Amino acid sequence: MIRIENLTKSFGDNVVLRNISEHIVQNEVVCVIGPSGSGKSTFLRCLNRLETPTEGKIYLDDVLIEESNINEVRVKMGMVFQNFNLFPHKSVLDNITLAPIKVKRADRAQAEAEAVELLRKVGLEDKKDSYPDELSGGQKQRVAIARALAMKPEVMLFDEPTSALDPEMVGEVLEVMRELAVNGMTMVIVTHEMGFAREAANRVFFMDQGYIMEQGTPQQIFENPQNERTKSFLSKVL
Amino acid sequence: MEGFLGVLAPYGEGIVIALHGIGMTLGVTAGAIILGMIIGLIMALGKLSKFKIARWPASVYVEIIRGTPLFVQVLILAYGVPYLVNTISEGAVRFNWQPLYLVGILACGFNSGAYLAEIIRSGIQAVDHGQTEAARSLGMTNGQNMRYIVLPQALKIILPAMANEFVTLIKETSILSYVGIVEITREGVLWASRDFETFPAYIGVAVVYLCLTIPLSRVVAYLEKRMGSSGPSMKKRKAGM
Repeated sequence: MIRIENLTKSFGDNVVLRNISEHIVQNEVVCVIGPSGSGKSTFLRCLNRLETPTEGKIYLDDVLIEESNINEVRVKMGMVFQNFNLFPHKSVLDNITLAPIKVKRADRAQAEAEAVELLRKVGLEDKKDSYPDELSGGQKQRVAIARALAMKPEVMLFDEPTSALDPEMVGEVLEVMRELAVNGMTMVIVTHEMGFAREAANRVFFMDQGYIMEQGTPQQIFENPQNERTKSFLSKVL
Repeated sequence: MEGFLGVLAPYGEGIVIALHGIGMTLGVTAGAIILGMIIGLIMALGKLSKFKIARWPASVYVEIIRGTPLFVQVLILAYGVPYLVNTISEGAVRFNWQPLYLVGILACGFNSGAYLAEIIRSGIQAVDHGQTEAARSLGMTNGQNMRYIVLPQALKIILPAMANEFVTLIKETSILSYVGIVEITREGVLWASRDFETFPAYIGVAVVYLCLTIPLSRVVAYLEKRMGSSGPSMKKRKAGM
């Protein structure tokens, strides 16, 4: 579904991603773990071109992702950010319906009905007329997930979705993500939640120094890591 | 008592006479604001463009306008431009500004546009970049992102600065009296030279300007205070949320 060939990204002299090649298949849940500054977020942001790769090619459904088709590609790739990035001047409902109406030219009534349905799924149907400032962090992130889902994406990208949350709110967001995974959504998740990665992922990438140092099933990575860097990282975080 | 009122009477007359110009002052200001907003938005987007071809003219425009006095700009437009047109056409076109207040709207609009460009640019830059990333990640184009996400938030941020610019603009239109546009100041000047009530005439002019600018300044102060509390929607707050 997503094919990455020789992806390299540098900011000036600073090489953040080094020659990464990967293939993420449909219905797969990939968790990307690793120390800060290892390039996890940059890797994720290259997938929908929020960062322009310095070298290499990325394909979605065998279509090369380029500047010229980026808006169509992004419609198929939902993204959830660490800092939610909800639109503060719009109500929860408008946050969710804006892109379907403006980008997909969806009918407003239809978009609103779907938005309410998505809000019900994330447990926030009573918040549709609220504004982002009136929500807790966990609620904001759940709205952000609903907003991304409203475009009916094929893939969901999560960039440390629980890192900005108070500990007691992490669970409610992970619960929504778990639900998505169970229902077959293809997901790429940059996360520090090792428990979630172990339990929800099909595959785990361990990234360090711009490389995917090691990858495998959660069992392989968490119970029997081969790479010294992986072992040392896991011994610190587990 | 009668003597006291007698002393005050010319001031009252000065105010009344200055008031005759209020329609022209407000009309020119309103026209200039609309023109200035359009120019300001275009120039702000130009300055923020990733294309040099758009950045460069916008920067030059803002530099030239902000680097020269409004008075000189008014002179160039009111007298220089008609002279230029008549000279180039060798008298075939007899160009003069008709109606004259067009000069005022254009000069003040061009001028204000440069200042508003800087205000709007700073507002756009003050909007968190995460907003743009969220909008673009949903497949919105650059234009849709600006229109639906960035500009509405930028506008809220710059509202006080913009209102302030309008207060300044009201006062600056007084310069137009020099080229014969009969606004508040010009009414006072004309009366002073007719009846030699020089002091009451200009006091009257000043009072009328104050009547316009003080309420507007109050609005600016209110907006600034509201900005500080950065709440969600005002409607909601009023509804007791």
